[in-house]
Amino acid sequence: MNAITRGGVAIALVLTAVLVTPRWSAQEKQKPAKMKASAIKVEMIHSDEIKLPAEFQVALYEDLIQQLQKKGGFEHVYRQGDRNAAKAADLVVLHSTVSGFKEGSERLRQVTTVAGATSITIHCVFKDKEGKSLLESDIKGNVRFFGANLRATYDFAKKAAQIAHDNFSPTAGA
Amino acid sequence: MAVGFRRLVVAASLLAFSPFVRASLGQQPEGPVKVQQITGLAGVKNKTSGKLAVEDGKLRFTHGQTKVDLAASSVEDVVTGADSQRVIHGALGSLSLLAAPYGSGRFLSLFRTKLDSVTIKYRDADGGLHGAIFTMPVGQAEMIKKQLLAQGAHTSVAPEQAASASPGTSPAKKEQKP
Repeated sequence: MNAITRGGVAIALVLTAVLVTPRWSAQEKQKPAKMKASAIKVEMIHSDEIKLPAEFQVALYEDLIQQLQKKGGFEHVYRQGDRNAAKAADLVVLHSTVSGFKEGSERLRQVTTVAGATSITIHCVFKDKEGKSLLESDIKGNVRFFGANLRATYDFAKKAAQIAHDNFSPTAGA
Repeated sequence: MAVGFRRLVVAASLLAFSPFVRASLGQQPEGPVKVQQITGLAGVKNKTSGKLAVEDGKLRFTHGQTKVDLAASSVEDVVTGADSQRVIHGALGSLSLLAAPYGSGRFLSLFRTKLDSVTIKYRDADGGLHGAIFTMPVGQAEMIKKQLLAQGAHTSVAPEQAASASPGTSPAKKEQKP
């Protein structure tokens, strides 16, 4: 009986190893190689075609800078217009344009739970110093249940910083 | 005779309760305004309460011993807006929302206080662009904006334009796609 149990466990382990190992290696292969960037300059969020309240525009910009400083993995995070950015080597410039915006209601969220979500979609383009596009991505920020409408900007900033972290590194290619 | 007596009673009650009536919104004091700094002011944590004043060509935010001065001339844009918050807000508000029995927390969410907001964009010494958001009691935002403009700040929305826009109507309420 013991031998049968041991045999079963061994087969299960072997099967698990066989099934899981190729997935791990596939995931490792799918991860894009990081591009070298030691500094990033964040441009003010543009909303040419969509009317975005000023507080959302500023909150998006400030949250983005804070999250990139925390989690982006860059040595320096510069703001739009910062003269020191010109001296930075391996500088990446982040341009963001609002492509979708729905201002929900905090009151409606708290009363109904299911309605009143705020969502914001932003097209982000990471460019090099010469203006060549390195990476483009549409990132969505939401607030569905708890928090003020401006929490959507924090959600967007966290996701954008994660994308920057996954694709750029000061030590890549070294 | 009875009508005259009633008028007298009404006049006397109005006189008696007049000290309790709040000063009109147009007669705000010139001194510092109680605000909450939501985000963006260099050297100040997000959601810090303090006092905001415009004096000597500077926008001054004070929180305890911390003082942050911004030259009004460095302010590139001042925009006012309207917002609201739960009467019971913060951690206690969230707790009441979750823990209050029979959904009374949700009912309490219906009671909200209106707020004004002031959003500014300014440059630091290196030319870097910053943004900051402050919320404050209703009626104070336009006064702060006017004082800033008088001291050399700039705006993309003139005070006359802001006044003509109906209050509380945000230009971007519905989802907009290009």
